[in-house]
Amino acid sequence: MIGIVSGVLGLIAAVTITVLIRRDKLHIAHGLGWLITALMLTFLGFAPSIFDAVALKLGIAYPPSLAFALGLLLLVIKQLSNDIQHSKLRVRQQRIIQRLSILETEMRRKKKAQEERAD
Amino acid sequence: MVAQALHKTAVVIPALNESAVIAGVIKRISKLGVGEIILVDDASTDTTCLIAEAEGATVIKLFEPLGAWGATQTGLRYAVRKGFRFVVTLDADGQHNPDDIPRLLDPVATGCANVVIGSCTERGSRMRKVAWRWIKNASGVRLEDITSGFRVYDRLALRRVASWKATLLDYQDIGVILLLQRTGMVIQDVGVTMTERVNGKSRIFHNWGIVTYYMAHTLLLGFCKRIEIRRNPSPVVISRVKP
Repeated sequence: MIGIVSGVLGLIAAVTITVLIRRDKLHIAHGLGWLITALMLTFLGFAPSIFDAVALKLGIAYPPSLAFALGLLLLVIKQLSNDIQHSKLRVRQQRIIQRLSILETEMRRKKKAQEERAD
Repeated sequence: MVAQALHKTAVVIPALNESAVIAGVIKRISKLGVGEIILVDDASTDTTCLIAEAEGATVIKLFEPLGAWGATQTGLRYAVRKGFRFVVTLDADGQHNPDDIPRLLDPVATGCANVVIGSCTERGSRMRKVAWRWIKNASGVRLEDITSGFRVYDRLALRRVASWKATLLDYQDIGVILLLQRTGMVIQDVGVTMTERVNGKSRIFHNWGIVTYYMAHTLLLGFCKRIEIRRNPSPVVISRVKP
């Protein structure tokens, strides 16, 4: 039963992501990663025996704990990549604010010089 | 030599609500005959901009506050665009004595150093001194005054501190020093006297919450970059000239 629930949840997630991309709420680059995750969730939900087999090979007595561990690992990686992206954006935003303020100052000075020449 | 260098020098002053003291600071700098005085206003809500403009400074108004380092870097980038050979940075609160500028400029103008830091370890509270010791131990930096904003940069150093890498930094202290060290800049410590701030309070050392964040942030940065410097040692010369 839990397999069906996870499979259905994965499908819902995949549809939601598709809708978000279609409505321009999610960038395609981010959407792609999420879509792959959702499809994997669906696949593993409908075929839980894969997890059982892998867990058995790895010597894990309780197979769902492998699923939880992998899920957590993925979330940590995703969050870390978000923070890296956020750092890049922060630097870019700060450079733009600085550049814009410098250009405004230069424009103001040029305008003032022109006005003084006109007088 | 220094008199000639002063004409090729821009003075960058980051300011936030310093209307009470800014006129006096700019007047004293003007007397030295520097190339340009650039005041970077970190979104002040008082008349700092108007006063600075009336005193003849070039005012760059930031429409979003970027903090002291973000504002300073804006001025540095402006100075690079204008082609200045040397840049002096000093605080707007009147702590730094503009009469020390020629003395700080000398090692840079004569090619003895790429960066000069005006240091005064006598100033500051006990808490600040403990913080300095911890930061120095974590980062391995042997400079006297790591938080001083009274600095002189030559063109080579300017390129480094105006770079994207430097934009990632939140404070101008250890991060900037380590960036300069990593890229082989020669840094010199020159002792200066500093007065107590006339108006307002330190942006960091007045609140335990901010101090805690600042310390965690700076210690981690110093520790991480120290490892990088150990792997790629650069020819750094750090000397000390007494006031």
